[in-house]
Amino acid sequence: MTKRSATISNCSRRDALRMLALSGAAGLIAPNLLGKPAFARTSAAKPTGRVIVGLGQEPTVFNPLMAHIEVDDGVHFSVFDALFRIDPQGVIQPNLAVEVPNQKNGGISEDGLKWRIRLREDVRWHDGKPFSAEDVKFTLELIMNPNFRSWRTAGHALVRDITVISPTEISWRMEEAFAPYLSFLTETFIVPKHILEKEANPSNAAFNQAPVGTGAFKWGKRVPGDHLELVANLEYFGEGPHIERLVFKYIPDLTVLYTQFKSGDVDLVGQPYITPDHYREAKALPNRVVTLVPRASFESFYLNLERPQFKELAVREALYAAIDKEAIIQGLYYGVPTPTETFMPKQSLYYNPNLPAHEYNLDRARKILDKAGWVPGRDGIRAKGGVRLSFANSTTSGDPLREQAQQFLQQTFAQLGVEMKISNLPAAVMWGEFWMQSQFDSVIVGSSYLIGADPDVTNRLHSRSIGAKGGRGSNNAQYANSEVDALLDRGARTFDPDARRSIYHRVQELVRRDLPFLPLYQSNAVQGQKKGISGVVPNGNTRTESWNAVAWHWAS
Amino acid sequence: MSGFLLNRLSQSIVLLVIVSIIGFTVLNLMPGGPLAQFGLDPGMTQKDVERLAEQLGLNRPLWIQYLDWAWRLIQGDWGHSFRDGSSVLTVIGRHLSATLLLMGTSTALAIAIGSWIGIRGATHRYSLFDYCATVGAMVALSVPTFWFGLIGIYIFTLKLGWVPAGNMYTIGDGSVLDYLHHLILPSLVLSLVHVAIWSRYMRTATLDALSQDFIKTARAKGLSERRILLKHVVGNALLPMITLAGMQLPSILTGALVTETVFTWPGMGRLFLDSLGYSDYPVVMGLLIFSAILVVLGNLIADIVIATVDPRIRLA
Amino acid sequence: MTAIAVHATPTRWWHSRAVYRFMRHHLALVGIAMITLLVLACAIGPYVLPYDSLQIDLRARFAPPLSGDHYFGTDPLGRDLAARLLMAGRVSLLVGFSAMLLSTLIGTLVGVTAGYRGGWVGAGLMRTVDGFLSYPSIFLVLALAATLRPSPVMITVIIAVTSWMETARIVEAEVRSLREREFVQAARMVGLSRRHIMFREILPNAMGPIIVAASLAVARAILLEAYISFLGYGIQPPMPSWGNMLNGAQQYLASAPWLAIIPGAAITIAVTSFNFIGDGLRDALDVRDDHI
Repeated sequence: MTKRSATISNCSRRDALRMLALSGAAGLIAPNLLGKPAFARTSAAKPTGRVIVGLGQEPTVFNPLMAHIEVDDGVHFSVFDALFRIDPQGVIQPNLAVEVPNQKNGGISEDGLKWRIRLREDVRWHDGKPFSAEDVKFTLELIMNPNFRSWRTAGHALVRDITVISPTEISWRMEEAFAPYLSFLTETFIVPKHILEKEANPSNAAFNQAPVGTGAFKWGKRVPGDHLELVANLEYFGEGPHIERLVFKYIPDLTVLYTQFKSGDVDLVGQPYITPDHYREAKALPNRVVTLVPRASFESFYLNLERPQFKELAVREALYAAIDKEAIIQGLYYGVPTPTETFMPKQSLYYNPNLPAHEYNLDRARKILDKAGWVPGRDGIRAKGGVRLSFANSTTSGDPLREQAQQFLQQTFAQLGVEMKISNLPAAVMWGEFWMQSQFDSVIVGSSYLIGADPDVTNRLHSRSIGAKGGRGSNNAQYANSEVDALLDRGARTFDPDARRSIYHRVQELVRRDLPFLPLYQSNAVQGQKKGISGVVPNGNTRTESWNAVAWHWAS
Repeated sequence: MSGFLLNRLSQSIVLLVIVSIIGFTVLNLMPGGPLAQFGLDPGMTQKDVERLAEQLGLNRPLWIQYLDWAWRLIQGDWGHSFRDGSSVLTVIGRHLSATLLLMGTSTALAIAIGSWIGIRGATHRYSLFDYCATVGAMVALSVPTFWFGLIGIYIFTLKLGWVPAGNMYTIGDGSVLDYLHHLILPSLVLSLVHVAIWSRYMRTATLDALSQDFIKTARAKGLSERRILLKHVVGNALLPMITLAGMQLPSILTGALVTETVFTWPGMGRLFLDSLGYSDYPVVMGLLIFSAILVVLGNLIADIVIATVDPRIRLA
Repeated sequence: MTAIAVHATPTRWWHSRAVYRFMRHHLALVGIAMITLLVLACAIGPYVLPYDSLQIDLRARFAPPLSGDHYFGTDPLGRDLAARLLMAGRVSLLVGFSAMLLSTLIGTLVGVTAGYRGGWVGAGLMRTVDGFLSYPSIFLVLALAATLRPSPVMITVIIAVTSWMETARIVEAEVRSLREREFVQAARMVGLSRRHIMFREILPNAMGPIIVAASLAVARAILLEAYISFLGYGIQPPMPSWGNMLNGAQQYLASAPWLAIIPGAAITIAVTSFNFIGDGLRDALDVRDDHI
């Protein structure tokens, strides 16, 4: 983490020190909160105070197993527990489980097929009922219930023969060895069997509007369209919580969100954080702490490789060389994001730092195209074999910075003899079939490729995952490389981190060479909070800033 | 009377059917849909999305989806939100109060200010005041509301720091004073257009009334101008004003949409935009039907009032 | 809902008395002057200004108004705001005008048909009008804009499709009142075709209200375009329109307020002018409109 912050181009020394301090704090707090053995509450102090988190989208799905989006995660992490959690360093820590199973401690069999998990015995649901292995079994089965509107089923679909050995021990068999499953379980929150089993239709259960979990915070109340409030769970088995109330406030307009942070109405700015154009101003605010936090989200100029314009590698290389990343990042994004060559976040254990560096060079781009036979036609647009180098580019409408970058690229490409037409769409249209069935020419998209911190990207890059060709994943660039396919298959079966590292390094190398998408940058969140709040530890391996609200407290 | 109501009712039902069919078709023709929000999720597979589509009944033919929806509606089931699973009526109810508060305040403001301007304009016809009011009303009707809101925020929040930039109340406060503090700017912005309409209306109504015989009689009896105005003119203009208010009922949904967006007000307008943004079909359809019912009601009220006032029109 | 004073004599709308009254209406003259100026500026301005509306220059970002040659300052990409404003004016005014023409055409056709035919056809058409009217028009507009790819032509069509109803109502009421007039009955007796009666005999007598409605429709279309584009569903960048210039300006309200003020002022001036003209026409053509 600290290493990471040093690479942020215009990160001041003070910022770096602050981040050092933060990650130091993480080192101290994380083991406590995650792996702490039974009979917990060391701090006798009663939880006090309230933290208001401002969010740009409204959390609406409170059953953590139902299909939901990023912004709901903050609530799930606070109200529920999973078997494991992932810490900011990308290491998986026990949560409801007593230890993390692996092949050395026998929790996972040598062939990776038999899993055996031991659970804590001191955990109670918010309604006082004890938590047990039956709840874990119920949860894993509910996910696969065909009538239940569950979220991700990848990984869970491989689970067979779930057996409750004792109230604190559970085992199952996997249909095939699947290493990423451990990471998947860090985002699989356990729900109470005794409440949900009575429901004829768990998708419409009252529970979904007033959830009961085991987490550090209990459900309080919700004012739809405005905010929701969680209250401290005094019986929590881990250390904390230290604040009495945790409020998630919905503020759809990003400028208003920032203004309210400035005025003090909001204590902490959550997703989608402070916009980069307010970064400099925010840093100068008195009594506020504003930091750059690396996210897993990777922004790229994403191509549809089945379009005749993009089939040739030379075209993709030329376009990449024509992207003035420096101008975009420094000029339009105020130096907030970090340039990158790969989809793998820099904080990941699997990040490959040795990829060829991008260089902005219009002349080289021109030469590449000339050499490949793409010559300017009468209208000034290059063409080859009847294919004009003209394409549409889409992104979600209503994101001013990205739209600026888009128009900037349009102008640079025009100098190259490449015509790029802008055709932006609202999010609800953009990410439907248009995206999933590869109906676009090119898009500018920022998204994470990883689930938890697992490096498996089969869903995004395997040729089996092309939705437009009947595949089951979201390889919407329609990228197909048999070597990448083989590596991904092997990586998913391999448990040893060192062996996996070399596999995914090679994957990144191949993808960087083939350029199915032109890497732009890795996002950094401009996270802001009031000075008095401590214990806020950023974690790029989760999707939310509120993954450990249990540790937050106000300095007295 | 009952014949009239019956006739009106049957027409209204036809209207509702037309509205719902058009709405349903347009909504479903929109590419993307409620599952697009999962398009960027690294762990949701194509299979997961197809499964959800089937569970939500989205892969059935459109006309079956419509009939299913309509049949449930007839039985009183407005459906459940795709987003949070609560029933559509609950969702609408939860946002209604915020809109009513904003609309109520701004309408009250508009009536008060608009009436004053209108009556004064009529009694001081062709004066500088009248001229300015006339021009002002037309300019007010021409200003884009969202822009007016932005300028308001720029001046009163960013420059002067008098009022908050948005929201209905401060969490943890929520006192009447706090509500009022948040209410000032959006209700003023929203009332701008209404002031323009009301003042024009009151001006015409007052002029009409002033030219009538009974006013001359009252004047002849030596009543003061002020009493004449209050008693006869305002009294006379009141019923038509109710009519106008009735016809404005539907704007509960749309009237505040723009203002609610700019000021992040948690009302029906923003619910509508949010639901449209997530393709939450049941809620959007619910809001459309709700608004159509308001239109029907509004027209009905207007008709009844007119008929009550004007004996020449018979409800038949 | 809309009562219209009937023209007793079939005078032509350009009859000199009307023009005279129109000229007497100062506001309408102001409106015409302002629109003429705007149109001229938008037509000629881009050739005169030293900058192109699409020229990006990141070194010149956020220049405030009156700095150097940038009379209105620059936008977040360093493009000259004056040049963009005038180019945007072309788009917005053109969309406004065309949408008005189209919606008036649709509204008139529906109105004349419904008013003259009456009966089932008329009732059916008018219930459809009611149906369209009972939508929040912004809903139809946004849903359509999301469905169809936004281009200036598409936006024009969308606006027209969602704003022809007023005209239809006005025309229908007018035609219904003219239908039983002597000159129409005479035409029927002579054996003129229905189409001829509808469009040659009745329509010219209903031109007054149509023209008034049309001038107000331009104003509304400009506002609607601005709002759709403001929300990001309308005219797509880099082509400027007054609405999409405001899109994103909210973000810079504190640091670069001119980005919001200038395009908004342009919209207000244009819309006000058309409303002034509409008002003048209403007086001149002696059209009474209960909508106030």
